[in-house]
Amino acid sequence: MSDICVRFTAVSKKYPHFLLDNISLELPAGSILGFIGANGAGKSTTIRILMGLVRQDSGAVEVLGHSMPADQAAAKQKIGFVSEDMRLYGAATLAWHMSFVASIYPDWNQAYADKLVRRFDLKPQQKIKGLSHGQRVKAALLLALAHQPRLLVLDEPTTGLDPVARREVLAELMAVLADEERTILFSSHNTLDVEQISDRIAFIDRGRIIDFADKESLLDRWRRLRLVVPATAALPHLPGIVEVGGSDRLPVLTTSQFDPSVLSLCTDRGATVQAVDTMTLEEIFVANVQSRRELQPA
Amino acid sequence: MHSDIVVSQFSGRPMYLQIMDQIKQKIAVGDWAAGEEIPSIRQLAVSLQVSVITVKRAYLELEREGVIVTQHGKGSFVAPDPALSPRLYEEELAQHLDRAAELGTSLGMTEKEIVHRLRKAVDQVSETRLEKENS
Amino acid sequence: MNYAMVRRLILKDWYLNRWLIMASVPAGLASLAIVLTGKPVAFLLCIILLCMIIIGVGAQLAMATTINERKEQTLAFVMSLPVSWREYTAAKILANLILFLIPWLPLTAGALCVLLLPGATRGLVPYTAIMSVEMLITTCLIVVAGIITESQAWTTVGIFCSSLGLNVLGYVFAHLRGISRYMWGAQVHWSPTAWFVLIGELLMVPLLLGLTFFVQSRKTDFL
Repeated sequence: MSDICVRFTAVSKKYPHFLLDNISLELPAGSILGFIGANGAGKSTTIRILMGLVRQDSGAVEVLGHSMPADQAAAKQKIGFVSEDMRLYGAATLAWHMSFVASIYPDWNQAYADKLVRRFDLKPQQKIKGLSHGQRVKAALLLALAHQPRLLVLDEPTTGLDPVARREVLAELMAVLADEERTILFSSHNTLDVEQISDRIAFIDRGRIIDFADKESLLDRWRRLRLVVPATAALPHLPGIVEVGGSDRLPVLTTSQFDPSVLSLCTDRGATVQAVDTMTLEEIFVANVQSRRELQPA
Repeated sequence: MHSDIVVSQFSGRPMYLQIMDQIKQKIAVGDWAAGEEIPSIRQLAVSLQVSVITVKRAYLELEREGVIVTQHGKGSFVAPDPALSPRLYEEELAQHLDRAAELGTSLGMTEKEIVHRLRKAVDQVSETRLEKENS
Repeated sequence: MNYAMVRRLILKDWYLNRWLIMASVPAGLASLAIVLTGKPVAFLLCIILLCMIIIGVGAQLAMATTINERKEQTLAFVMSLPVSWREYTAAKILANLILFLIPWLPLTAGALCVLLLPGATRGLVPYTAIMSVEMLITTCLIVVAGIITESQAWTTVGIFCSSLGLNVLGYVFAHLRGISRYMWGAQVHWSPTAWFVLIGELLMVPLLLGLTFFVQSRKTDFL
């Protein structure tokens, strides 16, 4: 049984215009958790609380066995962090940053760092202020990866990267997972990336975790059904319908609790099933959020 | 060895099924022989850049179908007698026959000559099988 | 407290501000040298330049290490390292103090030496020492403002008020009887008043810095 790398228990944080409400999640070692949420949903706040940069108002946060934020210095010995709003020192070179970080972490792997420099196509002697956005992101990732942390916490690691750079970054992140003791938590707008490499997925909206599941079962549960309903029959009542679109005769039902028996429920009622479409993670997220917002308008 | 499996997020077919299909095909064409070791779940996940949980699911399904076996602590292997669907072998056969017909025709052989060569090949296979069983 | 980490952070601030610090020493010594020309206006010029350089370095250092860390968004990078908020605060306080002392010590010593030269008004030595420590306190105040308020606006106000305060106190000290009586004499005379002021000032430094540390440790939100 793998250890739990990150554990949030009923964590809350109140700001003047925002409430992070009762966040609970568990991330086992050796897996990747993808965090999807709109801007302002609470992804960054959650990540900052995880890193001990912000203290929660209530609830317990445990990272690699350390209680946060009290024990953050010890926890951060084994964490690599990259955030969208984080910057390196513009007046210094990448090489200086590398030697600075190397002096701090005993597990710094210089050979690996050099390999990443080549892989990411960076020039160590260049000053950070001369780098493009994509290069800066890659530089920050290099610094986080090269000391081989047990946990990688990444806030939007591929945002703003060109497609080639994105692939390189994803490849390096997956390479981390080759070691089953290492874990990654990342938040992203890029649902394709999340869908591709995550083992578990958390949806966050308006300060709440609205879904937390392993990816395969999430993708299995959600379907879009296209039906043809004869004029005499009524729409079949199916479990977990989140959205009804289309027209009366040609409804399109979005369900979050699909299994094959649902199809017979439809045909029993006289409806013809025209198509059963799988949904992308993005479609699932949007459907999930929109249906909740309709139930609870802000 | 395993980097020649190619999967796509955009094919519309669930990822784990794509992985299963391609593993079965590799076994069908002989890239992976019966009893041979195949990459571990993590290794394949890393090289495909696909989540571990998806590869794990593919392997579990393949094991359930009898295509592969996983020995705890030792790794995963092609089953000694992989239960591939006849359809895959069918497709292989159709492709080979088409090719043989093409080649024979461009060599200027008559239909009779091509059939004769096919018969010889079938005989050869039976002979080889007999030899193997007797040895 | 992880002293190794604190040390590295101080060295980091040194590296990022090394040109400023290194340039200020020869600049200050050059302004001292002006006095050696002997002209009375040179004396005034020297004082003005010296004050500008010392306060300028102090204020710039404080701004660069505290406010800019947040403005340039490098704070998140530093705090992603294995360091606690207490260690970070301690490193900032110590870095500012130590780095400021690098120009302050030689320039203060230089000023006192110049005053001990033949022909100089030796009576000014206590007053100069007092004002020099006053500038140290001014810098500490700016550092305190930078660390606690985390706001560029408030720190700028702090710089303004401290400079004003420096002038006011300069006037006040110069008119204290214990000091004014001996200021223009040819002998160095440390009166009880002078000692009292000097020791009071020197105690202010650890007091201010300790206060900063205390206030910061009670905060829960830094980012």
